[in-house]
Amino acid sequence: MVDGKSQSLFKDKPIKVLLAKPGIDGHDRGMFVLAKAFRDAGMDVLYAGLLPTPEEVIDTAVNEDVDVIALSLLNGAHLVVFRKVADLMKKKGIDDIAIVGGGTIPDSDKPKLEKIGITGNYGPGTPLKTIIDHITERAAEARSRKLGIA
Amino acid sequence: MMKKADDIANGIRAGDLRSISRAITLVEDLNSLTIGREIIKNIYAGTGKAGIVGITGPPGVGKSTIIGNLSSKLKAKGKKVAIIAVDASSPFTNGSFLGNRIRMQGNLYRDGIYMRSLSSRGSSGGLSRSTWDAVRILDAAGFDRIIVETVGAGQADLDILGMAHTIAVVLAPGLGDGIQAIKAGLMEIANVFIINKMDRDGAFIAMKDIEDSLALTPQNEWKIPVIGLDSMKMEGYDDLIAALEAHLSFAAKDKGNEKSRFFHEVKAALLMEAESRINSLTVSSMSGITDLDRKIRDKVNPYTVAEEISRSVLDPSS
Amino acid sequence: MNDVSSFWSEKLKKLDERDKTGDPAYASWKREVLGKWRKDSQEKEYTNSSSMPIKEIYLPGDLEGDLAGRLGLPGVFPFTRGIYPDMYRGRYWTMRMFSGFGTPEDTNSRLKYLIQHGESGLSIAFDMPTLYGYDCINERAEGEVGKCGVNVSMLKDMEVLFNGIDLGKVSTSMTINAPAIVLLAMYMAVAKKQGVPLDSISGTVQADILKEYIAQKEWIFPPEVHLRMIRDMMVFCTQNAPRWNYISISGYHIREAGASAVQELAFTLADGFHYVEMGKAAGLSVDEFAPRLSFFFNSSINFFEEIAKMRAARRIWATVLREKYGASTERAIMLKFHTQTSGYTLTWQQPLNNIVRTTIEAMAGVLGGTQSLHTNSYDEAWALPSENAVKVALRTQQILAEESGIADTIDPLGGSYYVEWLTDEMERQAYLYFDRIEKAGGILNAIKTGYIQKEIANTSYRRQLRIETGKEIMVGVNRYVEENEPPIKILRISRKAQISQRKRLTEVLASRDQERVRHSLEKLEGAMKDENENLMPYMIDAVESYATLEEISNVGRKLYGGWKEPVIV
Repeated sequence: MVDGKSQSLFKDKPIKVLLAKPGIDGHDRGMFVLAKAFRDAGMDVLYAGLLPTPEEVIDTAVNEDVDVIALSLLNGAHLVVFRKVADLMKKKGIDDIAIVGGGTIPDSDKPKLEKIGITGNYGPGTPLKTIIDHITERAAEARSRKLGIA
Repeated sequence: MMKKADDIANGIRAGDLRSISRAITLVEDLNSLTIGREIIKNIYAGTGKAGIVGITGPPGVGKSTIIGNLSSKLKAKGKKVAIIAVDASSPFTNGSFLGNRIRMQGNLYRDGIYMRSLSSRGSSGGLSRSTWDAVRILDAAGFDRIIVETVGAGQADLDILGMAHTIAVVLAPGLGDGIQAIKAGLMEIANVFIINKMDRDGAFIAMKDIEDSLALTPQNEWKIPVIGLDSMKMEGYDDLIAALEAHLSFAAKDKGNEKSRFFHEVKAALLMEAESRINSLTVSSMSGITDLDRKIRDKVNPYTVAEEISRSVLDPSS
Repeated sequence: MNDVSSFWSEKLKKLDERDKTGDPAYASWKREVLGKWRKDSQEKEYTNSSSMPIKEIYLPGDLEGDLAGRLGLPGVFPFTRGIYPDMYRGRYWTMRMFSGFGTPEDTNSRLKYLIQHGESGLSIAFDMPTLYGYDCINERAEGEVGKCGVNVSMLKDMEVLFNGIDLGKVSTSMTINAPAIVLLAMYMAVAKKQGVPLDSISGTVQADILKEYIAQKEWIFPPEVHLRMIRDMMVFCTQNAPRWNYISISGYHIREAGASAVQELAFTLADGFHYVEMGKAAGLSVDEFAPRLSFFFNSSINFFEEIAKMRAARRIWATVLREKYGASTERAIMLKFHTQTSGYTLTWQQPLNNIVRTTIEAMAGVLGGTQSLHTNSYDEAWALPSENAVKVALRTQQILAEESGIADTIDPLGGSYYVEWLTDEMERQAYLYFDRIEKAGGILNAIKTGYIQKEIANTSYRRQLRIETGKEIMVGVNRYVEENEPPIKILRISRKAQISQRKRLTEVLASRDQERVRHSLEKLEGAMKDENENLMPYMIDAVESYATLEEISNVGRKLYGGWKEPVIV
């Protein structure tokens, strides 16, 4: 019989990640590279499409019960827009979905984002493996929260 | 553990989106079967109210666009709508890109439509089981219409469609000779035919072709309608909704249908039970039932061995 | 019209015959000389962005057939060596630096500064809300107003932007696509207010919507709706503003989205052919409107590949316009283009290296015969360029023009076996794509089904994997990496722009004649429903009533909705 110990739950279930650019920014080359790389790394990948609002991103993340939301912006609005997503999550009491960031994020902005739980914040040229490893780590964290063992 | 399943079940009944989503995650995951099953047992009495519509057809015919538009229209008519889209996973790495959502994006949030993507991987029965369970969850959560999207290829897809009250098959002109093959495979299961992309050359011919084929097949009480859609101009959707609703009422009256569906549900549950018991066998546990070394030495064939041990493996008291 | 549909395959057949034999000396040299020289023949594969295998050496035999005929002379068909007889001896390429940020006031003073320093060609960048047809007061514009360019939400902004600048005396290039017709209407309305007749305004709107669906993803409506607007601009300008260039057919963004050089070449020209067919279908004569079409290419880091791409582009355009579309004047078939150095090749690691990359790319642009050039600034991998970085980028061009000597003679690489072979190969592979696109139902269908986007995404992913595995080197990224690099100083746009833009818009919204706005938008809606109406006059009327960019865009949004992109992963 299948055992019921929570630690083993989800162990074979692929990481589910939502890629989203929640601002007015259509530069999606990196999104598609990541989508393919995540898929090839065995993840279930969702893309939020062109110009989703922060509300739509959260709605999708909840409906799909993703482990990680990967946000990217190249238009300089990351502080305003990423924060909107993080705030909405907080407002809805969602603590079992991790948020990671990327794009053109100056070093000086990174601590501000990390403070609101948005980690990674990788710039162009970051090796895919670094990003995949980070997502895997954050997904594990989110998963243990989903199971109530964190 | 049990408390957790109860909490989630209560959340589902209250229509809480996070509980619904979490429950679907649990029934999707092979390692969560126990808790998943507890949830389903808990909510099952509250199911059976939703109209379940399967929409199927080959890739590229515009199913996602149709479902996006259809669900918005249903919503406008006051229905609570949920969508389940089954996506094919990459055969190489087991990862998948759940792309169906993109075509519906925008409408979903605006219209408050629940949508969930499921990826097709794992055991052959796994996907249909998790899809059925997901539909039960949405049903218990109070959605009036649950739309299930599949590509309609392979046994797993047909198993999924077996739970729908109404199945609509989508075709589009320009599929070439392929349309004949697809038609042959899906003709028997269709309750409604949709010809999408009516703005394209050949659309009327395709429609006529289907109507002619239908005229040659013996029909029962339900006369299968053929609906033409132009998703660019949003034409044909009222006809589509009328056809789907008519078939849903028709199916609701058909008690034989209900019994047959329940039979399928029980059969699927049995298969899952058997599969999980058989999968949990190991060399040593099987050796505890029969002397494998001896069977090898005597060159006993596997069928005979299976017959010998099947009773003790499948006996629920074991 | 069988002869037209087989145009590409016929061409291909001819091109295939051209390059079959190779040089007889090559095989024996490789065996006898190279083979003995280096026994441990290394395994490294030599290839360019277009995945063309590169040989050790190119010989006369690699250039079969009528080379002189393929080249022509400067200013002579097929313009492989350049479109003007004197090229840079007549005058250097235009050093056109893109500007635009913050409020219209900010950009206005920058433009005036440039004019004082002798620039007459203005080039304006718009912010994201403007590019997508949203007003600055839209909630979605929060944090984005004035960030990546200047914000223009209504005619009043355009009036401020060109305050004190005589539109009869400058030429203005506006990098605007989806809402191009609205911005052009605003520009024309300002000209009218200044008393400048439309036939004396000159400039460009980018307005290349096809590449938006392919690459940059800045659209508002479904493709057909935007194409109709472009058609209306083409017709209106041809008749009323003959000095206005209404489309800048852009490969730049296609390349930035991850395409190879040959994909950039093929997809951009295929877009161009579509616009030519549109103009013809609208009843314009090719000779009349084709001179108003110009191109915009990317210059990336593989030096010879880029040069070959630009030379091939001229040859293909001239040949196809003459042979397939029946153009007869030289001006109609010569391909003029603007070049911008690649943003994709810039790295945030060791940013000063970007100056070197940009120099190489700028040099390729000049040797490829560009008419104008924008050099990127070394800090652009991070943010909008700082003033110092912009100055270095401009100086790079001046050094190339006035110190290096590369502009002293026309097409100095002409006749190089390698460059000519590459040019021929670019041409051949572009025709392969034209043929495939036609078989996919034409460029519009190839875009709507995602074929083009998939081709690009695959190339882009392949390149990323090559970088990851070290098959392709990026200095500072996957080789010669430095730890703990000091952060560079970057330009930040303050939120003041957003506040003052919102204030102005709110004031105008309260004081304008609401009845007139309503009326002009109604008329616009009526015109939109009638395919045969030209929208341009209705657009001018609407902007003059101080209807906003978003209100005008909403007329189309209501009628046609947006557009969902095909799934391409």
